[in-house]
Amino acid sequence: MTAAAARRDIAPAGLLVALGAAACAAFLLSLAVGPSGFGFHVAGDAGALILREIRLPRAILGALVGGALGLSGAALQGYLRNPLAEPSIVGVSGGSALGAVLAIHLGLSGVFAFALPAGGLAGAAVAMLLVMALAGSHGGPVTLILAGLAVSSFATALISLALNLSQNPFATVEMVFWLMGSLADRSLTQVWLAAPLMVAGMALLLLVGRALDALTLGEDAARSLGLDLKRTRLTVVAGTALSVGAATAVTGIIGFVGLIVPHALRPLVGHRPGLLLPASLLGGATMLLVADVALRVVQPWVDLRIGVLTALLGAPFFVWLVLKTRAELAP
Amino acid sequence: MRRRSFASIGLMAAVLVAALPAIAGDTPARPQRIVSLDLCTDQLLVELVPRTRIAAVTHLAADATVSAIPDKALGITVTHGAAEDVLRFDPDLVLAGPFGVPATVDLLRRLGKRVVVVPQPQDLEGVRSVVQVVASAVGAEAEGAAMIADFDHRLARLAAMRQQQALKPGAIVYQVGGVVAGPGSLADAAIAAAGFRNLAREYYTTRGGQVPLEMLLAHPPDLLVLSSAPDEYRTALADNLRHPAVALVRRRRASVELPWRLWLCGTPHIMEAVEQLAAARVRIQARSP
Repeated sequence: MTAAAARRDIAPAGLLVALGAAACAAFLLSLAVGPSGFGFHVAGDAGALILREIRLPRAILGALVGGALGLSGAALQGYLRNPLAEPSIVGVSGGSALGAVLAIHLGLSGVFAFALPAGGLAGAAVAMLLVMALAGSHGGPVTLILAGLAVSSFATALISLALNLSQNPFATVEMVFWLMGSLADRSLTQVWLAAPLMVAGMALLLLVGRALDALTLGEDAARSLGLDLKRTRLTVVAGTALSVGAATAVTGIIGFVGLIVPHALRPLVGHRPGLLLPASLLGGATMLLVADVALRVVQPWVDLRIGVLTALLGAPFFVWLVLKTRAELAP
Repeated sequence: MRRRSFASIGLMAAVLVAALPAIAGDTPARPQRIVSLDLCTDQLLVELVPRTRIAAVTHLAADATVSAIPDKALGITVTHGAAEDVLRFDPDLVLAGPFGVPATVDLLRRLGKRVVVVPQPQDLEGVRSVVQVVASAVGAEAEGAAMIADFDHRLARLAAMRQQQALKPGAIVYQVGGVVAGPGSLADAAIAAAGFRNLAREYYTTRGGQVPLEMLLAHPPDLLVLSSAPDEYRTALADNLRHPAVALVRRRRASVELPWRLWLCGTPHIMEAVEQLAAARVRIQARSP
């Protein structure tokens, strides 16, 4: 191992430790913030209950959902070798929201609780396979975006159809929940439902790091290195469906985290998609936790949705990326 | 701010409606083919006039979750509320609510139909005046007067009860999505009439009128009023009602389940809600030293 390579290996460990520390700090901050007062010693005998029943599930979900979104964004970008790939843009989030809505409105989640994350998972998997079939693995950024747009708008249309047909008096407000996402007033019950699937999905996605590194050389070279492309594809699809599907089923669609985080961290990890995976997991968790803290601190009375905040940050970023990609594609 | 402007619109509507029967003096006193386009006017209509004079009501009138008189409305022809559908009945009176159907009301009036827009009352006094408005529009003044007399009688009994109790416990109406019934709502009037203070005025609420669950745990109310069961509708928004924190508040403090159908509309049925709340207050009073 050369000196240069050795030096390059130290930096990643330091980076991951720093990101991990940031995520832990954001988690603690999230526990300390709430309408009944700042800190861990909330007044009255209800203090401990508030921490355990209200703030803890919110912080755990913030960390897990942010991590799942960041990680799956990095994995999708690495596997599709496409800078614009991201769960909400390629329609995976929309598909999982549709799956979760169907699980609730067909009454399945009332029969057995796991139907909710399972519905999200199934919807995510279908959406992802659809987009991949439409865009093909050789399609450029534009085909992928178009396929993602088609799938996610169809999913959104079906969500509103399902809500309208159910004669639910809350149909309009519930649309907002699914499309804008929310971490507010979630319970530990929901954490227990979604966390196992999210953790399993994230573990699967972390496994494809080496394959993504090999893929940077191109599919043929990767295959000659002994990479099983079919297996990699299956792992990415399953990992994304598990993690994003379960996340969306309990928090609704939270967009752009999977886009911003890998792009922000890529300059720090160099061109190694494998290292970008754990970095994006920690970075995503930090970003979502900080955004959620900001919501509660800056203007708590407005009831701003977390998905609105991430979209406010993400949409301009997306436009910038599109312009950059167009400049690169120009002759 | 917004609530105040709603209130003034409601007041204007009330004034306009009060003036209407006087203007339309040449119409027959007893309409024979009445159509109602609003859940709230449906209920008053069904209780004030015989079925033979009702041409159609909305489908909600027979829906037990939102209507206080589902059995009485069962079997009455249903209209879906579009102008063309209403014309089918050739009505000589159309009752409408203040929200949702202004375009239909305009169209029907232009086609020469007599339309009475009945305001949504915001307090118990408003309930009385709405009964009067509907009763005089449909030509059932005697029935309306009897309804109001019964209402006043029950209200007076509660007022007497209220005076014997010095304590004024705090109550909150906590609904799907964490939305609470704030000032200017009928539920707020019901709470006050039963001798509670509405904690919606004291809690931190978001602009959407929601109270975070954290506030409910930090400052639990003396009485938690739940308006609909979590599974009444299949909605993710009802997750807040399934939250362990709500179960915890219910174990520690008194709670009642007041079905929506009692206070969604400003009909005298709101008195049943007030009486249930008053009974809860007696229980709370008995428990505290």
